[in-house]
Amino acid sequence: MFSSYDIVFYLLALFALFSAFGVVTSASPIYSAFFLVLAMMDIACLFVMLGAFFIAGVQLIVYAGAVVVLFVMVLMLFNLHQETEAFSRGTISGMAKLGVTGLLCGILATTLFHFASTAKTIAAEIGPEESTEKLAKLLFSDYLFGFEAISILILVVAVGAVALSQLKGGTHAKS
Amino acid sequence: MPNLSVIANVGLGHYLVLAAIIFCIGIIGVLLRKNIIVMMMSIELMLNAVNLTFVSLSHFMGSAAGQIAVFFIMTIAAAEAAVGLALVVLIFKKYGEVNIKIFERLKG
Amino acid sequence: MGGDAFEVTVNLVKMAVIFLMMVQMVPILVWAERRGSAFIQNRFGPNRVGPLGLTQLLADAVKFIMKEEFVPGKATALLFYAAPVVALIPAALSLAAIPYSVPVHVEAFGEYGPYVFNIQGYEAGLGILFILSVSSLGAYSILMAGYGSANKYSLMGALRASAQMVSYELALSLSVIGVVLIYGTLNLSEIIKLQEGVKFGLPNWGILYQPLGFVLFFSCAFAECNRLPFDLSEAEGELVAGFHTEYGGFKMLLFFMGEYGHMMVASCLATIFYFGGYNIPYCTPTEVLQILETKFASSTVASLLTSLVFLISFLIKVGFFLWLFIWVRWTLPRFRYDQLMNLGWKKMLPWSLFNLILTAAAMLILKG
Repeated sequence: MFSSYDIVFYLLALFALFSAFGVVTSASPIYSAFFLVLAMMDIACLFVMLGAFFIAGVQLIVYAGAVVVLFVMVLMLFNLHQETEAFSRGTISGMAKLGVTGLLCGILATTLFHFASTAKTIAAEIGPEESTEKLAKLLFSDYLFGFEAISILILVVAVGAVALSQLKGGTHAKS
Repeated sequence: MPNLSVIANVGLGHYLVLAAIIFCIGIIGVLLRKNIIVMMMSIELMLNAVNLTFVSLSHFMGSAAGQIAVFFIMTIAAAEAAVGLALVVLIFKKYGEVNIKIFERLKG
Repeated sequence: MGGDAFEVTVNLVKMAVIFLMMVQMVPILVWAERRGSAFIQNRFGPNRVGPLGLTQLLADAVKFIMKEEFVPGKATALLFYAAPVVALIPAALSLAAIPYSVPVHVEAFGEYGPYVFNIQGYEAGLGILFILSVSSLGAYSILMAGYGSANKYSLMGALRASAQMVSYELALSLSVIGVVLIYGTLNLSEIIKLQEGVKFGLPNWGILYQPLGFVLFFSCAFAECNRLPFDLSEAEGELVAGFHTEYGGFKMLLFFMGEYGHMMVASCLATIFYFGGYNIPYCTPTEVLQILETKFASSTVASLLTSLVFLISFLIKVGFFLWLFIWVRWTLPRFRYDQLMNLGWKKMLPWSLFNLILTAAAMLILKG
């Protein structure tokens, strides 16, 4: 009844939920960052199960290998250990937040599951080489404008981040 | 005895539900935590959940446009993390800590 | 990778063998480093313990295992223990994805069908992308070691080392893309197959098409492995010992193994991309197979021997690059940190972009 694909999916899903939970509830921010790395690697494995090999590789290189490294480096520079007030004060507002988010989660989950069981889906087999070539052809033909816009965006962000770090304080700064 | 066949034969629905749950865990992180960097990490978690949704839809609908969307989302998320962290460094320089209770009131 | 039990068992055994191979190459490499550096510096190296000092590393390993195991008082124990283990993982995973030799074709006997046995841990469809992804996870072991040691110098060394790794990954990936453009595939076995034959009297290897790419790739590999001249984060005199200051005994040995594992991966990749992988110049695998098939009755044995011949050729080339790593370490002085970052961002990155544009333009003109 349960094929090996199902078992692997459920293992990965449980690990992803555990890691996500760890990100949100760890007292020390550095542990949150390492749980985030685990979550990203888990999601890359889920991408591989869905046949998107190239995107899994990019996820590991960009997200787990650069973005979270940046987070961890900033956290280590700040040297934050235990937080005095890690979570929001107030139990009633906290309960309200949890309750509303739980309601949202329930609505999303049931709607999506219902949509998925009634939608017309095909499970196309995309091999590794095919997926990279297909992606590249699409990226450089239909989505060329978006591609070029993103490269300009990255350039602006790089220059902006360097400029921000050299800021002297703006118009009201004490000199 | 509930119908157990809804759990076996993992299909599109299971992936979408997993992504929705991770998204909501990210929302809880943004709402409940007071450290800016942990809030930004929860936002990254939400973006990852959206990526998972796109890729699973792309696989089950047979179209590669979902993976292109994931490409763009990843790039933008990385750029946003970079700018956000630069701002956090500035905040730390000025206030000495990155807990949002210090600047919940917009002043000066 | 097949789904049945036989394939899974074979793959697991292959992965275990490759991991053990990586661990066992380290004593040989350290011996080569200590003797080689000694000859460069006009002294003997270890030459007492065994013939030519070969079992010196065995003695060292026993010493490491017997040392007292300690954790600094204020350290975060989980991160402190996890860091050396995590240092081994990227190197081991990358080594398992590299094709070492021609696949062996086992012919059918009894009712078992013909089988192709890859001399490779697993056939990764996106070979080089997989290796780049797991290599980029190597920054975490350094960060965990630096932070978990509760030591200011370790932390500074770790931050510097991880910033260096992330910076040089860019130039590394861009120089790899030049190779991928020329051969049109990400799969490592395909790249090796496309480097057979002869062109203008020289072997048809990658270095003919990408000389600048090779120089960039190899230099960035030094930075990725934290080897001299890019090892400021491990330098004595500047930062005590950088991120592995507080480590001693077996955990230190695991860090060494990780570093040498990364060196092995870089050498294997340099061989595959630029020096023809397991190809022997001026002959092709099919020729060698035909010659051997006339000498031996069973085609399985002929295939096995062909595989062995090409494996030896691959190991000779990889050994040359590992010797180059060791040679450069004891020849060049160390870069200062600002010089290092300057080199990475302002010189290597523009040159690799230039290499990429030149390659793309050449491909367009010659093929388009």
